Amino acid sequence: MTYEEFADARLSALLRYAVMLTGDPHQAQDLVQETMVRVQLNWRRVARSDAPERYVRRMLTNQFIDWRRGSWARRVLLRGEPDEAVPAPSDHAQSAVDRDQVWSWLSRLPRRQRATLVLRYYEDLPDAEIAEILGCAVGTVRSCISRALATLRAEYVEVC
Amino acid sequence: MIEDDLRAAFARREELTPAVGPVRAAIDRAVVRRRRRRLRLRLAGTAMAVVAAALAGFTAIAPRPPETANLLATPSPTPAGALNVLLLGVDGPADRPYRLADSVLIVHVPADRSRLYLVSLPRDLVVSIPGHGRDKLNAAFLVGAGEPRPDLARGYTLTRQVVSDTTGVRIDAGAVLTYRATRELTDAVGGVSVCLPTTVRSHHTHRTYPAGCQRLDGAAAVDVLRQRFNMPDGALDRDRNAARYAAGLLHRIQEQEVLTNPLLLNRLITKVDSGVVTDTGELSLPALISATGKAAAAEPVAVGLPVRHGEAEELPYGFRLDPALAPGFLDALRADRLGEWAAAHPKQVTGLR
Repeated sequence: MTYEEFADARLSALLRYAVMLTGDPHQAQDLVQETMVRVQLNWRRVARSDAPERYVRRMLTNQFIDWRRGSWARRVLLRGEPDEAVPAPSDHAQSAVDRDQVWSWLSRLPRRQRATLVLRYYEDLPDAEIAEILGCAVGTVRSCISRALATLRAEYVEVC
Repeated sequence: MIEDDLRAAFARREELTPAVGPVRAAIDRAVVRRRRRRLRLRLAGTAMAVVAAALAGFTAIAPRPPETANLLATPSPTPAGALNVLLLGVDGPADRPYRLADSVLIVHVPADRSRLYLVSLPRDLVVSIPGHGRDKLNAAFLVGAGEPRPDLARGYTLTRQVVSDTTGVRIDAGAVLTYRATRELTDAVGGVSVCLPTTVRSHHTHRTYPAGCQRLDGAAAVDVLRQRFNMPDGALDRDRNAARYAAGLLHRIQEQEVLTNPLLLNRLITKVDSGVVTDTGELSLPALISATGKAAAAEPVAVGLPVRHGEAEELPYGFRLDPALAPGFLDALRADRLGEWAAAHPKQVTGLR
């Protein structure tokens, strides 16, 4: 497979994944761009791996988790507040606000937990594959998910 | 419950996904920028490889297996007239997606076979590359070889054309040497003695090579041939060291009588056949060896193509032919009068010992 074929087939899926991770289209674009530049520069190594797609997803996820090592500005930007880019239809305003609470709580989770939730509930990947992408044990994935869900549930209780 | 809310929240966000087209274009632009920056920072390594063998040896390392047998047969008629052999030292590990020819050397074999002339062309010389425009000489290899799987033979072919167009010299044969080929070649002849005018400290391995003559093994030879930092003339000094290495290699090859001993020659060929692309043009390999072998017996003369720095406002940045010296030099090269020219311009000659 060439880099071009890979990008044709997978770029839009990676962008969607990055949107879920960052919660912001601009940051998603930066994240994907930074990762794909490295993918292109090192394409041979990527292509040699058993599953290039998983390899790239792993690069992207690591990049996201490690992003705080980047500039201060980036770090601040990534503390996502509830998203304003998608205005809720006005007649369902209240319920939309409620639903969007999940999204804003999500952005407050540690990045690793958030990545786990995205892989589990957006990408619908089995635990084993999530473990491979995050480079940890299956048990760690499970405890990560349950801790993240517990945090979100606690928020629910507070609100209700 | 919460899981369902999560799925729903994710699904609602899908529409935020940016369009693929612009992102893809931005990635490609960033890759180009990143590669350029790497070119500047990366120590170019050059592999200068060498020269090497140039001559003599060089031809020896080139052949594909079927030609090996030929070496033992009666040599075909020896070409008369002057010959020019183009040697390209390319940089980089084997798995890198692009290659540059950072060492470019014409080995001129005069018609009288009295000695060899090693003519270094600076890699930063600005030239016209067909289908690409004005750029540095070392980029011709990159343009020809392509990415991400550089084809060394195509890189060589385009560089040969550019060298030929720029200098007006016909190239009769040539070879491309990678780091690995240079290392193996050096080790195959048991190390090469190189005389450095000043101490060289490796930017890559931090080894120090003192001024004076020393025997370098393959790894050390490649290391020295890559260095251009902390030298007054940078890449030009590196080219001079490449000429010194070539002279040492020639000397070594003569010393071991490789060229007149088919068994030794054969061993050298089989040892160093990877990473080398060669072109013997219309000449047979034995004919080429026979022509260069005679000339290689005398101490070679090394000269650099006379160049000047481009003015600040001249783009692209890089060397230009020296208007005072280059025309006379190229005339001498084409007319096979390099000996006279070198005698008249002793300052342009690189000290080899």
